[in-house]
Amino acid sequence: MTSFAVARYLLSDVWRAQRVLIPIVAQLAVLAVLFGGDPGPLPAPWAASSLALYPVATWLAVAVANTEDPVQRSVTVAAAGGPGPVVRGTVLVALAGVVLLTALSVGAGSMVARGASAAHVVEGVLAHLAAGVTGTAVGLLVARPLVARIGWSLLIGLIVVLCTAVQPWLPPVGAAVAALADDRGPSAFLVPLAVAFLLVGAASAVAVGVARRR
Amino acid sequence: MLRAEGIHKRYRRNPPVLAGVDLAFDGPVVLSGANGSGKSTLLRIVAGCTSPTAGRVRGRPRVVGYLPDRFPAQLRMPAGVYLRHLAAIRGTAAEPELLDALGFAGPREEAMARLSKGNAQKVGLAQALGGGPGLVVLDEPWAGLDRAAADHLPVLLAHLDVPLLVTDHTGRAARIPGARHVRLVDGVLIPEPADADTGPLAAPAVAVVLRAVDPAALLAELGLRGRVDADRACLTLPPGEVDAVLLAALRHGGSVVSVGPA
Repeated sequence: MTSFAVARYLLSDVWRAQRVLIPIVAQLAVLAVLFGGDPGPLPAPWAASSLALYPVATWLAVAVANTEDPVQRSVTVAAAGGPGPVVRGTVLVALAGVVLLTALSVGAGSMVARGASAAHVVEGVLAHLAAGVTGTAVGLLVARPLVARIGWSLLIGLIVVLCTAVQPWLPPVGAAVAALADDRGPSAFLVPLAVAFLLVGAASAVAVGVARRR
Repeated sequence: MLRAEGIHKRYRRNPPVLAGVDLAFDGPVVLSGANGSGKSTLLRIVAGCTSPTAGRVRGRPRVVGYLPDRFPAQLRMPAGVYLRHLAAIRGTAAEPELLDALGFAGPREEAMARLSKGNAQKVGLAQALGGGPGLVVLDEPWAGLDRAAADHLPVLLAHLDVPLLVTDHTGRAARIPGARHVRLVDGVLIPEPADADTGPLAAPAVAVVLRAVDPAALLAELGLRGRVDADRACLTLPPGEVDAVLLAALRHGGSVVSVGPA
């Protein structure tokens, strides 16, 4: 319950700060380029948009995690009774953004491109979620309180995303993108999605642990 | 009763900030100490913002009101919206009327980032004191407050019937009735008599500046100790002795530059 109250509070500030607007616009730009011309038959075009969602979700999570000044954060932590609910609230807002961008990406694809069967839509949703949820996990690890400076956040986040996104055997993002490109069916995405959620859980635990020590 | 037991805190590669702090209280406690003595760190630990390296805090209630040193107002939301969100996070009701009690005069519909330092501090106090907290931790709450609010704050704090830990450099915390005073020295707490901080200041004193050709010789003639600065001698005197000293100084060829409160 406290986590949801924190999430509403962070959403309210993040929305007013307009810092989340840039990653959302970035994803919309990718969608416009991808589905503006002839994207080819689904689900292959979604491989590109889910790949794009990975760094976008990382950016989104960093923006949400850094929206509060560290001293302001200490007030929120005291009010919430510890860093746990605050980190969970951050994750909730970041994941809400991922769900929104997944809906936009899959929605745009199925309206414009050919061959949108129900199975393809499920594949698209699962792949985008796997990439977005993993991006949230990476974002938590390169934002405050682990990485205080936004320049380091950008550099480390970029390196992690570039190195992990291009390995087709590596779940969650590399494997999910490769499975979309080859149209391997919805069941191929379950392992990547499960791994993505495990990563978010682990990243949250690390963030809570570090917040306690600071 | 809130108990901090054997609190140690060190940040990596640095000497320990807190080296075994024990503090048990169920009423007001005023914490003093030099700059950088670890007061804010102890407050953050008691409030639950950070964990101690060793030791523990027992009996911390669910609802804690915490005001950090330099309450930052960089948020884009208006003060009223912020107070509602913070109350929701605590699971209590917001008390925006506290802003009125503190004489908040800032815009209520505009971003908190546009508030003045004093008005931001009032928002910080309202969030810390509102909604019936079971523990209140205030770091320099008088910083930036105007006189009316600063005078009203001890009244508000006197009505709290919960553990209260407060730091203060202004001396106004002495007006919290029944407060215990402790001082943080070298990472441990030592008890402090209630008026140790304010005692010498509370006794009125008069600053006198005299001018003479040889101010050191003039001081020797008067049998007084003071600071010599070029052709001037600066003294601090109890009020009862001022007239006699001035008379004697004039008789010995000195002249009076200024007389005022010390």
